[in-house]
Amino acid sequence: MEPENRFLIAEENVFSGALSCRGCGWALLVRHLSSILGEDTIYVLPASCLSIISGPYPLNEIRGSIVHTLFAAAPATATGIRVALDRDGKKDITVAVLAGDGGTFDIGLQSMSGAATRNENILYICNNNGAYMNTGIQTSTATPYGAITTTSPLSHYKDMWPKDLMGIIAAHNVPYAATASLAFLNDMRTKIEKAKDIKGFRLLMVDGPCPPGHKTEPEASVSVARLAVESKVFPLFEVENQKYTVNYFPEIDVKARECLKLQGRFKHLFRNDSEDVLEQIQAFTDKNWQRLNELANNVGNA
Amino acid sequence: MANIVEVPSNKAKKEKEKVTTKYPRHTLKILKGNFAAAEGAKICKVGFIPAYPITPQTTIVEQLSSIVGQGKLDATYINMDSEHSVFAAAMGAAMAGERVFTATSGQGLFYSHEVLHAIAHFRLPIVICNVGRPSIPWNIWSDQTDSISQRDTGWIQYYGESSQEVLDDIIQGYVIAEKLDIPVMVVLDAFYQSHTSENVWVPDDDLVAEFLPAKTKTGNEIDPKNPRSFGGLVPTEQYESFNYQYWRDINQVEDLTDQIGKEFGEKFGRKYSAIEAINIGPKTEMILVTLSSITTTARGVIKNHPEVGLIKLRLFKPFPKKSVLNALKDVSEQAVIVNVDRNFLGDKEGAVMHEMKRALYGKSYKMYNVYTGLGGKDVPPSTIEKIIKKTNEDPEEVMWIDFE
Repeated sequence: MEPENRFLIAEENVFSGALSCRGCGWALLVRHLSSILGEDTIYVLPASCLSIISGPYPLNEIRGSIVHTLFAAAPATATGIRVALDRDGKKDITVAVLAGDGGTFDIGLQSMSGAATRNENILYICNNNGAYMNTGIQTSTATPYGAITTTSPLSHYKDMWPKDLMGIIAAHNVPYAATASLAFLNDMRTKIEKAKDIKGFRLLMVDGPCPPGHKTEPEASVSVARLAVESKVFPLFEVENQKYTVNYFPEIDVKARECLKLQGRFKHLFRNDSEDVLEQIQAFTDKNWQRLNELANNVGNA
Repeated sequence: MANIVEVPSNKAKKEKEKVTTKYPRHTLKILKGNFAAAEGAKICKVGFIPAYPITPQTTIVEQLSSIVGQGKLDATYINMDSEHSVFAAAMGAAMAGERVFTATSGQGLFYSHEVLHAIAHFRLPIVICNVGRPSIPWNIWSDQTDSISQRDTGWIQYYGESSQEVLDDIIQGYVIAEKLDIPVMVVLDAFYQSHTSENVWVPDDDLVAEFLPAKTKTGNEIDPKNPRSFGGLVPTEQYESFNYQYWRDINQVEDLTDQIGKEFGEKFGRKYSAIEAINIGPKTEMILVTLSSITTTARGVIKNHPEVGLIKLRLFKPFPKKSVLNALKDVSEQAVIVNVDRNFLGDKEGAVMHEMKRALYGKSYKMYNVYTGLGGKDVPPSTIEKIIKKTNEDPEEVMWIDFE
């Protein structure tokens, strides 16, 4: 009996020699993404780790067209590319923005909101690693509560809750938005395939492991991502025209601290005097999970 | 459309013949400057117009939205979320081969600053209109501080003296931009031009198409069938080569402006060049250097001053040094040059003075600088008279003429 081919990636569209750090989320994400989207995709990259990883001039890591654009302007640049392709009869070509959390939650938010409101036919992928990692781990509005970054140092660690970007994007009534995890590859690939076939503005928020930024071991990237989902710190869900669906219900109760304690950026919270902070994070996690399930049950059925 | 008035049909036949045959294959319209700009974009058959409102340019994008909405132009029109996004969308579409037009003013141009650099150095042949206004203190009236402060972004800049010239500059702008893959900014004066009606001869679409054919692909566009990477990080060893290629091309602009202006004249009956030298010869004692509508006022005033000449800078960036030197070739170096600046860059001297000093390095002309018309202040003939009188009688190197 022939052994079953268990490789998810049938067509490898990323060349070897990419410049990512070991254990980088972008590296695994782009391999899966490009294997599904195909060679005729136009990727639009604002400033981000991926803009470096995917190759300095004249290299290109991905089989596909890459447009490196300005930090604040990826959705607007993609809008213009979309216009030109559509006018040229290339309506079926996918235009995909690949951005980090800085480019999505912060400097690119206005441009993304504009594109989402116009329901531009763009697939937007956010690799959310919770800080400006490309410039060396500075705080973004996606940085989790309690984390240390180079601009939220130990003496003043991040004491704000991250922005609910999925809520913001859902409020734009886009046809498709979903979260995805590199520890749940089948779920992620299904979502990429689904998003690929939908017309209009689509967004995938991917939890992005980052060993240098999260202070983790490279081999722990997928484990941390899995714990983020299992502990409900990063729930897997979809929002289709404001209708929420939760895709994964953890079977055992895993506390947020189990995910946090693998990451050096939260190390200071595991001292005796920070128990209250861990409890606040747990309460926030519980509240978000409850709210998500309320949204999933109620919105759309009213 | 109250702003577009066809030639009345009840005029005497002879009179009408005279009018309509001045420029064959044209229609005479009475247009405000902003509407002339919109007509310019329309007859150039632009395919994409990303838009965002800002006074005093707004009626350009309003009129274009109406033109596209009525199906008079096959273009995609998108209301963007900011000028930054307008220019980024323009950039994306141009990278994929579309002919793009937009318009902005003042803060909109300032806000687009980083994208202006990107468009120029991605070598994208976009043409825009900027209706000039300054920044803080808040002001929406005529002033060239906005466009001149963007002179180092890599865009070619033309300053139109009349609405006719603005329209004609847009056509020539696309020819030059698409020949060199360098973007063009056509600048007009706020209100004095943008909101003032003039006679404008609008060329027929087919006449424009003979001069500016539909945009063809160069092979450098985004192409799903030929995947490439655009705009990646350029290592130190290669970086200069991009600047060098751009430098070689930008150096052609002055000659190309004259060449295309001449060809335009042959086709349309209105000839243009990088600069216009007016009343300049061996007996010239003073030369005023101007941009845009102040030139028109000065043209009238110098009729009473045979010894005073005028240089109109139509091309401002790259600065037409060769043309300026050529205009002065018969002028004694005893003559004085008065540079009129309707811009304030926070320096002792204005931009025209800076550029003219650079152009005339090594010459011994006495150079004076006048700040006037800032923030839309009217520059009537009496102000030009004052400039000439002050320069003759009691000149200072830099003069604020209305404060004397």
